[in-house]
Amino acid sequence: MTTKQISIRRYLPERDDAPFWQPFEVPVDDSTSLLDALHHVKESLDSSLSYRWSCRMAICGSCGVMVNGIPKLGCNTFLREYDAEIRIEPLAHFPVRRDLVVDMEIFLEHLAAVKPYLIDDAQQQEATETYRQTPQQLARYRQFSNCINCGLCYSACPQFGLNPEFLGPAALTLAHRYNLDSRDRGKAQRMPELNRHDGVWSCTFVGFCSQVCPKHVDPAAAVNQGKVESAKHTLIALFKG
Amino acid sequence: MHKPPRAHPPLPRNWWLKHRFFIAYMAREATVLPLVFFIACLLAGTVALLRGPDAWQSWLGFMRSPPVVALNALALAASLYHAWTFFQLFPRVMPLRLGKRAVPASLMVAGQWAGVLAVLLLFVWLFGRA
Repeated sequence: MTTKQISIRRYLPERDDAPFWQPFEVPVDDSTSLLDALHHVKESLDSSLSYRWSCRMAICGSCGVMVNGIPKLGCNTFLREYDAEIRIEPLAHFPVRRDLVVDMEIFLEHLAAVKPYLIDDAQQQEATETYRQTPQQLARYRQFSNCINCGLCYSACPQFGLNPEFLGPAALTLAHRYNLDSRDRGKAQRMPELNRHDGVWSCTFVGFCSQVCPKHVDPAAAVNQGKVESAKHTLIALFKG
Repeated sequence: MHKPPRAHPPLPRNWWLKHRFFIAYMAREATVLPLVFFIACLLAGTVALLRGPDAWQSWLGFMRSPPVVALNALALAASLYHAWTFFQLFPRVMPLRLGKRAVPASLMVAGQWAGVLAVLLLFVWLFGRA
C-alpha cells in the first residue's frame, strides 16, 4: 500500500497560543477519503487530533475543512485527486476552537434569523390536514432545499470573511427557499432581514459559494434572486406609503 | 462551559490573489475602471459640442491620439468581458418561465448576444455610411 503526506494545521490552545503545521504520512488507495485519512491519524498516529464528522456520506455536513485553501467536505474529497501536497486547515472565516473544529455559532444565528420554517399564521387549514403541492410548485424551490448546513459557502465567501454580520449564502438561500414555497405565508416576516445592508445587498456575486457547494444548491443564484425580491418589496412598500 | 470571546479571523488584503476564481471576479469588477475613462471622454465630447466648432475639432483630435484610442479599445474589451460574465449570471438571477416551462439558460444567453449583435448592426448601419 502506498502512502501520502498530509499536513494539518493544528491548534491546541492549552499547549500553544499559535497554530502550527504538523505532517502525517497516511496509507492511501483509490478509495481513501480525506476523512479516512483523518481517522487514521486519530487512531494510529496522534490521538490528540480534533475534527468533526458523522455520516461519511455528504449528508450531515459536519466534516467541512479547507483543503489547499478550498472548502471541502472531508468525506467526499479523495486523496487520489491530489498529486502534490495536501494541506488541511479548519474552515476559513470562522473562529477556531481547536485543531479543525471551528465555532459555527454565528452561522447558526444567521440561519435562525431568517425563520427557515413554514409559517402559516392564518392557519388556513386544520393541523391534521395534508398540505397539497403540485410538482411545478415543488420545482420552484427544490434545488434550494438540498442545503445540508455544512458552512462551506461561508468559508468560500469573501464578503462573509470581511463582515461576519452578513447573513451569508446558506441563510439567504434558505430564506429564499421558504419564500418560494407555496405552503408558506411568512415572506413578509423574512423580507426585513433580507432588505438590511447585512442581508442580500452585502452579496457582490463573487459566486464561489456555488462552486464549492457539495449539494449543488447554487446559493449565489438564490441570494441574487433575493435581491430582485428585495427590490420589488421595497418598491411596493414605497407606493403603498 | 467557559467560552472564549468570538474572534473572527481578519481577511488579509491579498485574499483575492489566492485563487484564480477570485482573480477572475476582481477582473470583472475592475472592468469599470476603463469604462469610467470612456464615460469621461463622452462627457468631454458633449461639453465640446456645446462650446462650438473649435472645441469640437480639438476634442476629435484628442480622441484620435494613440493613447486615448488604446484606452478606449481597452474599455471596449472590458465591457465585452463584463457582458460575457453578466450574460452567464443573468439566467441564474432572473430565471424566466414561459407558461409552465422554464426557459433554458443557454437560450437566454444566446438571446442576449443576439441583442448585442442587433445593436452593433444598427450602429454600423447608422454610422457606417458616413
